[in-house]
Amino acid sequence: MAWELATFPSDLLPSQFEVEGADVQVVRPGEPVRVTHVLDAVEPRIRPDGRAAFPTKGKAGEGRTNRLDGVIVLSCLDFAEEERPLHEQESIVDLAGPGAEFTPFGDETCVVLTFRPGEAGNEDAEAAARKTTLRVAEELARPTLDAEPAEVETFELGAGDENLPRVGALIQLSDLGPLYHLYVYGTPAGQAGLPRIVDPAELLDGAVTSGEYHWAAMRNPTIFFQRNTLVRSLYAEHGKRLRFAGVVLMRGYEQSADDKQRAAEAAAARAQELGADGVVITTDAGGNSHTDVMLTCRACERAGIRTTVILAEETDPESTRPILTDWVPEADSIVSTGNLEELVEEWKPERVLGGDTLLDGTAAASAGPIPVRNYLGAANQMGQLTLGARTE
Amino acid sequence: MKAVHYLNQFFAGLGGEDKAETPPVRLDGAVGPGRGLAAELEDVDIVATIACGDDYFAEHEDEALATLLAYLEEDPPDVLVAGPAFGSGRYGYACGTLVAAAAERGIASVAAMHPENPGVDAAGKAYVVPTAVNVAGMRDVLPRLARVASALAAGRELGTPDQGGYLPRGFRRNYFAEKTGAERAIDLLLAKLGGETRTEVGGGLDRVEPPAAVPDLSQALVALVTEAGCVPQGNPDRLPAVRAQGWFRYDLTGEETLSAARYESVHGGFDVTLANEDPNRLVPLDTARELEREGRIGRLHEAFYTTTGNGTPVVTSTRFGREIAGELREAGVGAVLLSGT
Repeated sequence: MAWELATFPSDLLPSQFEVEGADVQVVRPGEPVRVTHVLDAVEPRIRPDGRAAFPTKGKAGEGRTNRLDGVIVLSCLDFAEEERPLHEQESIVDLAGPGAEFTPFGDETCVVLTFRPGEAGNEDAEAAARKTTLRVAEELARPTLDAEPAEVETFELGAGDENLPRVGALIQLSDLGPLYHLYVYGTPAGQAGLPRIVDPAELLDGAVTSGEYHWAAMRNPTIFFQRNTLVRSLYAEHGKRLRFAGVVLMRGYEQSADDKQRAAEAAAARAQELGADGVVITTDAGGNSHTDVMLTCRACERAGIRTTVILAEETDPESTRPILTDWVPEADSIVSTGNLEELVEEWKPERVLGGDTLLDGTAAASAGPIPVRNYLGAANQMGQLTLGARTE
Repeated sequence: MKAVHYLNQFFAGLGGEDKAETPPVRLDGAVGPGRGLAAELEDVDIVATIACGDDYFAEHEDEALATLLAYLEEDPPDVLVAGPAFGSGRYGYACGTLVAAAAERGIASVAAMHPENPGVDAAGKAYVVPTAVNVAGMRDVLPRLARVASALAAGRELGTPDQGGYLPRGFRRNYFAEKTGAERAIDLLLAKLGGETRTEVGGGLDRVEPPAAVPDLSQALVALVTEAGCVPQGNPDRLPAVRAQGWFRYDLTGEETLSAARYESVHGGFDVTLANEDPNRLVPLDTARELEREGRIGRLHEAFYTTTGNGTPVVTSTRFGREIAGELREAGVGAVLLSGT
């Protein structure tokens, strides 16, 4: 069944609104603002038929969804330090200056929600912030229900020329425990029955949301699924250079060697079910999940499915011996989404939202050069952005 | 500004293969190809030429290098230029090794040789300007070598390898590509399906060969080492939760167990709740003491070694490993129980 995505102009954004439990600031494109402790970035979306924009049941990617163009909701929360079960990492978005080149948010109007942790524990505070953010994203798109769309895109895959290769996407979603989950229809990735085949339109339509606060640069905020470049590019290439075989969602951060091997083989089996000749394998977060990706690459290649892997590098900028965290000889085709360890030139914002003090105790307004790894999604391993690393 | 130029015995005019055993010498001013180079340098004079026989360097590397570096340190130049060595393996290796060592000591350094010369790998963080495979490329390379050397002497940025006219040194540097990573991945995959495999990242691993089995564990001194971020309660030395820059050693004399009251993990890469209920599960001191009492291991080393393995570049972890292993070997430790998380 086809899915339609209707685009509406940003001037439909309500001028006045309040969010319980959060401070709200609207930042226009180009304003010299630094946003800190960023949890997620979400595009405002709503469904005219009344179903949820970020559904926890039913199926996304059907009927029509409205999107508000040029508007991004950024949610921020400074966790209470004394009870971090896992340590959330610094997550920054610069809306101007040199850091703005590393994230795709500075060209749009950002609605920044700064949540107050209050008395709740970290997990409760995070859950409340996450759910409120998705609800706000839906509410901000409500005025589109009474407006005419500027554009309607239809996502549907015809048969395509049988001589073209069938290409799929294996998209890794990490789940390392509380504060380190991606969600599939509201369920943590580790409990969502992965690996599983989904309709590519589901991914673009709010089926996957983020609650993962690992290294900021390697995160995949919700908007990177809503606007997923990989899936959109595969739709665009369908019938031209390839036939889009479909999407498999798989888990990163399997916890034991046996589980990793099993999960890799299961993902390859799903790719075979798609009839894929080749797959692009994406990565979520670092270290452990890189091993999952390498094993998946090997399992696919052994099943006769050619692979290209997308991943980021964590190389000491002063070292001339770059080595990946993990690697298999089958991984002979890798796209690099950048080196996390490089520094981004110092910049002094005029205004800081999200919290004045970075996690390392420095003042956000006068921090020195900040490493790429602290910029939200800057080196994300779904290939959403243009950053890369090369040997010099 | 001052340059020192390195040549082998042949180009320094000391003689051919029959003089390849010549130890290092220092000559005043420019010699041989140095004269052509000097004519191309901008505001840089070649104040000295240092030279060494190719065989001598290959067979007495440490001594040769020490003497050549001593020449440089007597009167440090603004830039060291070595070669061009073209396709000559021994000469290229000497050039590469010397410029690498000089660069490590803070002297801006550049060599010139053919891209496939083994000396390129030896050059480390120093610059290498590519040349033709033989001396017929002299006229072509001298202006390019001079341009790099002049820029280095003046402290000017060279830019990327393409812009600066030098070979990539192995640093991974960020850039903004014309296409997104996803589009590049589709291009690479379609090329691979078409029979042409390309990659943006080379692979390879540091393979650690398992050592031979410990001949008799009941006689061995055994140490506990971990990357689990296990430290005395309160983390007195402030071991970071992520991106540790070093490791710590904590005395175990008189300790029978790592009690939760006295030890904790500060690791930021996993949920430490369960581990902190019993730190022995990270560093198994309780079991190790039991094995020691039973005589199944000879003796437990007096201290355990700890760091946080989280977001650590491989090159940094490699250094930790080398440093810790060095201490353990010195202490006569024959076996290590290494717990990872």
